[in-house]
Amino acid sequence: MKPKSDLPQGTLDLLILKVVALGPIHGYAIAQRLEQVSRGVVQVPQGSLYPALHRLENRGLLAAGWKVTDTGREAKIYRVTRKGQTQLETETAGWQRLTQAVSLILKMSEGGAG
Amino acid sequence: MTWWHRLFHRRRHEEQLEKELRHHLDLHTSDLISQGYSREEAQRQAQLALGGSEQVKEMCRDARGTRWLEELLQDLRIGVRVLRKNPGFTLIVTATLALGIGANTAIFGLVDALLLRPLPVVKAPGELVLLMRGDGRGPALSYPDFTVLRERNEVLSDLALYTQAPISFGNNVRSEVVLGAMVSSNYFDVLGIKPAFGRAFLREEDRTPGAHPVVVLSHSFWQSRFNSDPSLVGRTIVLNSRRLTVVGITPPGFDGETPPMKVSLWIPVMMMSTMRWEPRESETRPDPLSNRQYENFGAIGRLKQGVSITQAQAALETINHQLEQSSPPPPEQRFDSNVDRSLRLIRPQGVMIGPIREIALTSSRLAGATVLTVLLIACANVANLLMARAARRRKEVAVRLALGATRGRLIRQLLTESVLLALVGATAGLFLAYLINQLLMAFKPPFPPPFTFTLDLSFDVRTFAFTFLLAVVTGVIFGLVPALQASRPDVLPALKDESNAEGTRVRWLNLRHALVITQVALSLTLLISTGLFLRTLRYARQIDLGFKPDHVLAVSFNLKLQGYNEAKGREFYGRIVERLERLPGVQTASVTNVLPLGFMSLSTPVMPEDRDVPPEERVFAGDVSVGSQYFETIGTPLLRGRAFTAQDTINSPPVAIVSEKLARILWPEIKESGEALGKRLRVGRSDLISCEVIGVAKDSRNNIFNRIDKEPEPTIYRPFAQNYSALASLIVRTDGDPRGLISGVRSEVAALDENVPPQNLQPLSETVSLASWSARTGAAVLGVFGLLGLVLAAIGIYGVMSYSVSRRTREIGLRMALGAKTRDVIKLIVQQGMGLTLIGAVIGVMLAVAVTRLLASLLYGVTATDPVTFAGVVLFVIGVAVLACYVPARRATKVDPMMALRSE
Repeated sequence: MKPKSDLPQGTLDLLILKVVALGPIHGYAIAQRLEQVSRGVVQVPQGSLYPALHRLENRGLLAAGWKVTDTGREAKIYRVTRKGQTQLETETAGWQRLTQAVSLILKMSEGGAG
Repeated sequence: MTWWHRLFHRRRHEEQLEKELRHHLDLHTSDLISQGYSREEAQRQAQLALGGSEQVKEMCRDARGTRWLEELLQDLRIGVRVLRKNPGFTLIVTATLALGIGANTAIFGLVDALLLRPLPVVKAPGELVLLMRGDGRGPALSYPDFTVLRERNEVLSDLALYTQAPISFGNNVRSEVVLGAMVSSNYFDVLGIKPAFGRAFLREEDRTPGAHPVVVLSHSFWQSRFNSDPSLVGRTIVLNSRRLTVVGITPPGFDGETPPMKVSLWIPVMMMSTMRWEPRESETRPDPLSNRQYENFGAIGRLKQGVSITQAQAALETINHQLEQSSPPPPEQRFDSNVDRSLRLIRPQGVMIGPIREIALTSSRLAGATVLTVLLIACANVANLLMARAARRRKEVAVRLALGATRGRLIRQLLTESVLLALVGATAGLFLAYLINQLLMAFKPPFPPPFTFTLDLSFDVRTFAFTFLLAVVTGVIFGLVPALQASRPDVLPALKDESNAEGTRVRWLNLRHALVITQVALSLTLLISTGLFLRTLRYARQIDLGFKPDHVLAVSFNLKLQGYNEAKGREFYGRIVERLERLPGVQTASVTNVLPLGFMSLSTPVMPEDRDVPPEERVFAGDVSVGSQYFETIGTPLLRGRAFTAQDTINSPPVAIVSEKLARILWPEIKESGEALGKRLRVGRSDLISCEVIGVAKDSRNNIFNRIDKEPEPTIYRPFAQNYSALASLIVRTDGDPRGLISGVRSEVAALDENVPPQNLQPLSETVSLASWSARTGAAVLGVFGLLGLVLAAIGIYGVMSYSVSRRTREIGLRMALGAKTRDVIKLIVQQGMGLTLIGAVIGVMLAVAVTRLLASLLYGVTATDPVTFAGVVLFVIGVAVLACYVPARRATKVDPMMALRSE
């Protein structure tokens, strides 16, 4: 098994929002997509995926509906609401600022400034 | 989706959650199978990756944010289960709470109707204001002042005028008197009332006196007198012997601006003189519409948008102040320091007749305090029962605590249970309240018509909201302490079944004792108040009124409404007395200008002729004018001299009969009332009449305004012939039940003039009973609730003593095994109960001393700290308490010592 990283607090919601923003999708597919895209680095504990989805739905950032999938089964499909889209944009910007800042600080210490 | 939506679709959500997770597992499983796992292994792996299904579901439920509600539902389910498991307990508690809450709901319904309910039918009643005087008088404006206030103010969108008076309505079959109102033409516009049929008044109907004989009828009057005939609009009806055209019918439910009086019809105020409106004794006053001293008009206005009632009051008072500067107040108010002529605005809410509202306020406070006390007693009872039960449930609670339930969660569950109990009790209480209200209506003041007293006691939203809130608050009050006690985490002893853990027992019992003491004290206070009212009633029955109301029938007339002049009126009264005297079963009949204890009292200045008395020192005496057989008929003894006879006419020398009290005040030097005979006095306000005293009558309440407890005032009686009044009453003394004569009197009156409506045709005893109405109602209401409180307190004492006995079975068994006799055991138990009762009684007496002082204004013939009442009630309560202790004590002696010793 590949080494896995623990997700920093609060990032799971952001990642879910991003994945769902790409197009309506059901729960299992979200988990798979996250794993594939992050090349296995990010593995979402499935146990916390569904509470997160329900939380986002409850906050009105996601909307959900039932659809019959290709396999002929009913699946709960999530999509991003307008409010969710805004939230995604703000949080993405925030996240980028943070990572830039963090990597700057890390580089600084590598360069042995002082 | 809202939270309640989620809550109420809870089952569907659960199914969907299940389906979603199932879907996930199935997909994962098939992926794993395609990677080469066996089906069983794949399923295991998928389940492992997801985690425990129940845990995930629980987290999802948490994420939905309806957690607390779901827990509440769970608590409710547990609560219902617990309550159904103990039907006896549930029944007792529910019944107790139903009594407590039901009493409160009933009284709230009454308070709502009397004081809170806004004027019905009108548009935006919150914007309406009535103009009153600073001392609470109203209607108390003159027409000229009204017009100035209406024109000059900038705070009201409009101001309308009204004045009410009885009016005779002749329908050719038999005439009757109804309550009518004279209003300005904008009256219905200000109230925002659109007539159901026809039209309201027009502006031009407000300009020329006497030019527009039109009338608007109330819906209920139209319904009851004209069978809802829509073609009535446009036709004429006869009012005060004048023909008026009906132009409109109000929408149903509107009966004027001053409930509970029902106004039946409205006439433009410009018709006032034409209609001979002014119903009081005629003074030589000019037209009421131009007289600034005639202050019998009320005004109702609508606040402009954004203007507060305080701002409006200030603005109107400024105008009023200018008016006051320019003209003096009416003469009778000039030297009265109680008169406050500033303007005050009030919102029309509930009962708007000043004196009735005063009574309503007092009795609402009294009744409210009473039922709250009953509820407190009920709460104490239920709290006690809950604590006893908590003792039995300690093991269950301990198990739950041991399994990790938090204390808060446990308290919440116990509180849910008690609130649930309270809600069940409140539901039963609503039915009870309905019954109580039916009973209360039987106590409505028996006002004689046309002053129909209507009070709608049906429940409205406010009543239901009040009951619900009360139930929740009650549930928390009686549930909190037991819940705190029960959830105390002393797990170990409870699990080990050490139900006699010493420390806890003592503390629990102390709290229970405190509750019993409170109950005894509160019910004692209630019962003492009841006792005082009962004593007042007894006094009222024994009081020497000075006249004998039994076997007397009374009927009143206002001949001015029919346009009778003095000569014609004199003739009418003379002939009707003659006719009535001839009726079978009639002993005597006479006429008088004022009925004893009615709603009118007249007074006049009197002074002895031989002394000069400055005006401000003149004696005011009751001014009663009477026919020749008045004293026999009313039953007031004539002590000295002679009665008036047919020879005392308008042309004979003026004579008078004085009451003993008046004789003593006018001539302090006389030793015996007979000495007043032959003396002369002067009577009247402006043109003094000189009379000779020809008789002295016993002091009597013949001129007292409807308060049985007022002492007789000095009174002067003059012959009706020499002191005529168009407004007068006939009194008839009968052999048997005076009601038997009602129809006879009616037909005699109709035979004389069918257009003259007899008013207030009823036995004199009813007028008198109205005068002691407040005491009777107070006694009845307090009595019922006081007894209720005592029953609850007795149950409380009984419950505590039974519980105590059951806890002490072992001790009692031991005592009996060691040789204690039955008597000793009973003594032991009763003593404990008596200790509590006596402490409660002492506190109760102190409480009662403080409380009954507030009742003093409603009591008479008895002081607020009447020792007989206090002692009697204390003994009674102690007696009940002894009984409540004795029963469990008896049971204690039946304990088999061997069984008791083994039992624990």
